[in-house]
Amino acid sequence: MNRVCWICFFLALYLIMLPGPCTGSQPPEAPVSVSPSDELGAMAIAMKPPEPSGEANSFESPHTDEPLLSANQEDEPAEIADEDTSSTSSELEEPARGIADPLEPVNRAFFHFNDKLYFWVLKPVATGYKAVIPEDGRVGVQNFFSNLTTPARLVNCLLQVRWKGAGNEAVRFLLNTTLGMAGFLDLGRTELKIQKQEADFGQTLGVWGIGPAFYINWPILGPSTLRETVGYVGDFFLDPRTYLPSQPIYYAIRPFELVNETSLTLGEYESLKKAALDPYIAVREAYYQYRQNKIGKSRNRQNNP
Amino acid sequence: MKPTCFTRGVLSLFLVGAITVPLLAADPMEEIKQTTDKILSIVTNPALKTPSKTVEREKLLHQAVYERFDWEEVARRALATHWAKRTAEEKREFVRLFSELLERTYLKKVEDYSGEKVLYEGETKEGDYATVKVKIITKKEKDIPVEYRLKKEENNWFIYDVSIEGVSLVNNYRTQFNSILLQSSYEELVKRLREKNEPK
Repeated sequence: MNRVCWICFFLALYLIMLPGPCTGSQPPEAPVSVSPSDELGAMAIAMKPPEPSGEANSFESPHTDEPLLSANQEDEPAEIADEDTSSTSSELEEPARGIADPLEPVNRAFFHFNDKLYFWVLKPVATGYKAVIPEDGRVGVQNFFSNLTTPARLVNCLLQVRWKGAGNEAVRFLLNTTLGMAGFLDLGRTELKIQKQEADFGQTLGVWGIGPAFYINWPILGPSTLRETVGYVGDFFLDPRTYLPSQPIYYAIRPFELVNETSLTLGEYESLKKAALDPYIAVREAYYQYRQNKIGKSRNRQNNP
Repeated sequence: MKPTCFTRGVLSLFLVGAITVPLLAADPMEEIKQTTDKILSIVTNPALKTPSKTVEREKLLHQAVYERFDWEEVARRALATHWAKRTAEEKREFVRLFSELLERTYLKKVEDYSGEKVLYEGETKEGDYATVKVKIITKKEKDIPVEYRLKKEENNWFIYDVSIEGVSLVNNYRTQFNSILLQSSYEELVKRLREKNEPK
């Protein structure tokens, strides 16, 4: 019975999304959720974040006072490399190249804002949502949205010369959209063992040799860089939701997606914060490394398809 | 009858130990696997889940995790250039504080274990260093690639860094430590570590 409700709910959702001959309306910038996965991936995502409670504030304050960090940040890798000769440590280690962060004071402010947003709004809502809806349902919703954004991944695979990746996306899309009930079931992954390709326009730009420029922590959207922000805009035009007939639907869907996403990653941001001495830097560096890793992986796939 | 059973058990244990230990020592992936299996067996053991067993369970987990890491190496790499400037005493304290923090974080993660499968994808060895690649299969959208970096010491492999989705733990802490050290002092860093470790 429960299941029937579910299917109706999904079908209704699907129908809502279907009728989209574009009206060319300009919805807000796509809240690209960075959505890596659990575990530390939490670090990379942890987009909703920044500092709640006094506990964290006490960590934050010394930094916000001193804008000099941004400059230091860039020196840092070099410095480490110079002095590290005393030990063998860097042999197998990739250098800890930080990302430039000239906007740090502003970024920290938004980090703080996102943190509050997470703890005061997103988390309570997602917790309630989680209590009502079983995990399978929420994973289904996640799959559905993920299936919707196939065009962006497929096109970016092509732009990155990952023919096999593009093929995989096409197969996944066809299978999941039909037998997978409009994408709620990820049969491509569970049955055919074809993984979702990680491809977005920011990554494409990186593969083309464009650097991230500098770090930006957007309100609501979370960690990003200049390159990735340009990437959002590119992907935004490949997102079917952009061409929804009415803005209200778009505005309803985005938060819903965000809540659903959050319900699947509850606790990750918290544990990241618990483990970090400076959560802002932890998130920033995790995000940067996560992105660089994705770009590197894509390059590898090009070379040996 | 009992004593014979007992002695036989002990004997066979010794024998098995004697045979397997030297064989396994050379293989980093095997060691990671052993540790993972050990931890998972503790976490999933229903007998240890009762409140009265919490302390014992924590102790077992602590042991399993602690012995597989080279904590000094982790701390040294995380402090990077700043490591050499510390005295032996400071180093020891730092290793203790940092390992405590990491262990607690790690065990928290382990507590959330809900039947994810671990796939061992392979290892690469380069002298005394090795990398073991593992994939964690979750229910959610994506699998999580994890990479353990190990260092060989006296024929045993110890983890000195874990990287998840390409995000290295040591690198991440290194940036944080560096930023704190540049802006304030080593004392401040230690103070913050201590605060983090305080039970709330």
